[in-house]
Amino acid sequence: MATGQVRIRVPDGVKAGDVVTVRVLVTHPMEVLRMEGGKPVEKNYNFIHRMAATYNGKTVFEAETTQAVSQNPFFSFPVKVTEPGKLQIQFEDTEGRSYTGETDIKF
Amino acid sequence: MKHQRMWIVGLAAAAFATVQAADFVDTNQSRATPEAQGGIVDGKQKRYAGPPFGGVPNDWSEWPGYRDDKPYPAPQQATLPADLKGDADNGRKLYMSRAKAPCTGCHLIRGDDVWPAGNVSTDHQQIGDRYATPEAEAVLYQYIYDSRVINPQSFMPPWGTVGILSPQEIVDIIAFLKTQRGPLPEEKDPARNPNTRPLPENYFGDNLDPTNNAAVVLAEGAIDTWTRQGPKGKSCADCHGEIEKMQGIAAQYPKYFPLYRRVMSMEDLVAWHGADETGLELPSQGAENIHLALLIRMQSNGMPVAVDIESPEAKAAYERGKALYYQRVGQRNHACADCHDADRGGGKFLGGRLLGKKTDGMTRHFPTLRTNFAQIWDMRKRMQWCMTPLGMNYLPADAVEYAEIELYLTSFDNGKPISAPGMRH
Repeated sequence: MATGQVRIRVPDGVKAGDVVTVRVLVTHPMEVLRMEGGKPVEKNYNFIHRMAATYNGKTVFEAETTQAVSQNPFFSFPVKVTEPGKLQIQFEDTEGRSYTGETDIKF
Repeated sequence: MKHQRMWIVGLAAAAFATVQAADFVDTNQSRATPEAQGGIVDGKQKRYAGPPFGGVPNDWSEWPGYRDDKPYPAPQQATLPADLKGDADNGRKLYMSRAKAPCTGCHLIRGDDVWPAGNVSTDHQQIGDRYATPEAEAVLYQYIYDSRVINPQSFMPPWGTVGILSPQEIVDIIAFLKTQRGPLPEEKDPARNPNTRPLPENYFGDNLDPTNNAAVVLAEGAIDTWTRQGPKGKSCADCHGEIEKMQGIAAQYPKYFPLYRRVMSMEDLVAWHGADETGLELPSQGAENIHLALLIRMQSNGMPVAVDIESPEAKAAYERGKALYYQRVGQRNHACADCHDADRGGGKFLGGRLLGKKTDGMTRHFPTLRTNFAQIWDMRKRMQWCMTPLGMNYLPADAVEYAEIELYLTSFDNGKPISAPGMRH
């Protein structure tokens, strides 16, 4: 699977002042914690650990996730929109790679 | 001269026979994952012994199945034992006991704790008024013990004859049923009564939205399988090209293949043709198999189902599938038709579950996400799970019997659009 595809869904028919629910998913593996001799193996496990959403350049949502985040994690959050614009969502994994997706919210 | 001609005919026939033999792949030896092949361990059905299925791991080997003609007990006359006294409270417990049936799966009784009740069969809320005399009680006893004696068309399992309910238990249930009399109490919750319960519709939102249905992204991941070269040096893509070229293909499945001399679903074809050509291991109901079959099927989303049931081979398979659909099997002597024909249980509630009607089509959303198991199920796993209420051990996932039943069911979807993966609870 192509890693790092960001899929964003916003509702149609948005009006100024509406609170819209943004749904976003990124395709990404989640490396499972390995145990050896009863102890967790100390290494840099690969999973999504940060996401941030900006609307017209202004940060509207940020999240930090830990080992418990799933494969292909899905986030949903509300945003109040007063003007049409560009929603950008960036994910970052523990190996430092980042994946960005964007969509337009039209009125 | 005559001899010579016969020789030629003989030679031609022999040559034809060899070609046929080389061109035939026998699918009798199942290629399903060990779990999907069934099997009994320590007297339990392996798959259902553990979570999330715990509860019905019974071994039903002694009862007739699709593949054997074990005899089913003949209808048995039963007389109400005069020396037994019924305990109505215990009868109510038995009536609701999941380990016994439960009776509430098909019949409705009074009480707010009766949840969820079904309406496949008659409403019992006033049965006590109708069966008040001792003669009527004897009829009731016979009906529960073995209904086939009174009504050969009945599809209620013969609870006494197969030993699920003992005579004492039946007497207890009759004592309880006699308490179901008089005017009906007011319903507090319209959802309690299956006749007034609202139907669940489009429960989960858009099933093709990857942010809504986790199966979409998993299936898209199968592009790796599609393009991966197996030990034979070929990948699916080497012969078939881009996955988009599969558009419309899945609408024709299940389809008859002369090479296998049977109908194959997409999952069967991935397990046999896909594995044979590439050398990859793609066992039926393995994750790769289901994801790849789903990816191929997704290319036909929105297109109408168009399975062939006209050609002689397909027609014969369709007729066999239809016969299997109506064949009574298992401990409970049920057929698929008992739940899915509109004149029996189709479109009604079995407990809390709304039973699908075969005429609405039941296959075009498969493989589907089962939200309660967090698993993608293909049609076959759904069918194997259906064997549980029949009281029959399931067949291997790639069994030809399932393929033929699937063809029969899919024929009702003809002309309706494919929408896979679906979402079901």
